[in-house]
Amino acid sequence: MSTQQNPYVYAEAISYQLSDIVDPVPVYANFNRNFAVEPEFLTWQLRNVHQPVYTGQTQSNKGIDTPVFQTSIFAQSMVDAFNISNTILQSLHGYSGMFGNPDTSGFIIAKADVVWLYNTFDDTVGMNQIILDCTLYIST
Amino acid sequence: MALIDKVLAGYTATLWMQDDATPTPLTVGQLSTWTSQVASIIGASAGGSGTTGIQVPVEAVPSFGADDAMAAYSIAGQRTGAKITTQNQPTSMTVVCPWNPADTAQLLIRDDGYNGSIVRTFVVAIYDGTNTVAYAFNAMVGGMQWDMSPSAEGKFTFTIHPIGSDFYGWSNTP
Repeated sequence: MSTQQNPYVYAEAISYQLSDIVDPVPVYANFNRNFAVEPEFLTWQLRNVHQPVYTGQTQSNKGIDTPVFQTSIFAQSMVDAFNISNTILQSLHGYSGMFGNPDTSGFIIAKADVVWLYNTFDDTVGMNQIILDCTLYIST
Repeated sequence: MALIDKVLAGYTATLWMQDDATPTPLTVGQLSTWTSQVASIIGASAGGSGTTGIQVPVEAVPSFGADDAMAAYSIAGQRTGAKITTQNQPTSMTVVCPWNPADTAQLLIRDDGYNGSIVRTFVVAIYDGTNTVAYAFNAMVGGMQWDMSPSAEGKFTFTIHPIGSDFYGWSNTP
């Protein structure tokens, strides 16, 4: 039984947490070609925000949220791309605890589950990319 | 009697129960009496008044009604026996709730299960936004289990066992 969470809070927390993990590599929401002049950076997108809904007229009768955020790690050097991705993997996969800024909108997550999807190369911008998916299990 | 005259979605069924720690269950006659009895247990969100009841936050209301019951009689040497319908007992309902340790209804059910002898009136209310049909019965709680699988929310599962074949009744918004 819980109310609908605000995805904006998720976004704040994701941005904070990724920045904290990979500092000083810049972290952006979504890709912008202007970023491609930088030797390394990463972007994230939040998706699949969904709390299962249960029976009844009470709108707050819902389960936990399990949103996914996709992280794209960009680097001119493939070694950097792998190393930054590994830093995120080591830090987030299986992590349980405070997610986001503990002084503002951070919240406790039950679990973070990272899937390393694939690596690729964008010839146009000359950057290696590695794509990670991270599922958050958020008690509500 | 204002009965609902449309086919309903399963989502419109809700489960309610008396909210006293030591409740006085409804009598057989009251279980099929809407005004001031069953209506008081059902909350306003399902067309009742909710003065003496609380909603149980179930994932889905399980099937309710009666268990199959019949007696088979046969005589040695006879090729076919006779099936004779007997009085059915109200079925037990195994309910799954998303576990919230601060939810008042779930805590009451936990206490009932621990106590083992509390009889409480439960009501399944089916509401179309205007009218309500209610199935009320007296039952005890047993078989409580908590499933803390790490892949989803914790589940609180319990079974509501009706205490006797007479102790249920149908009613609806007058």
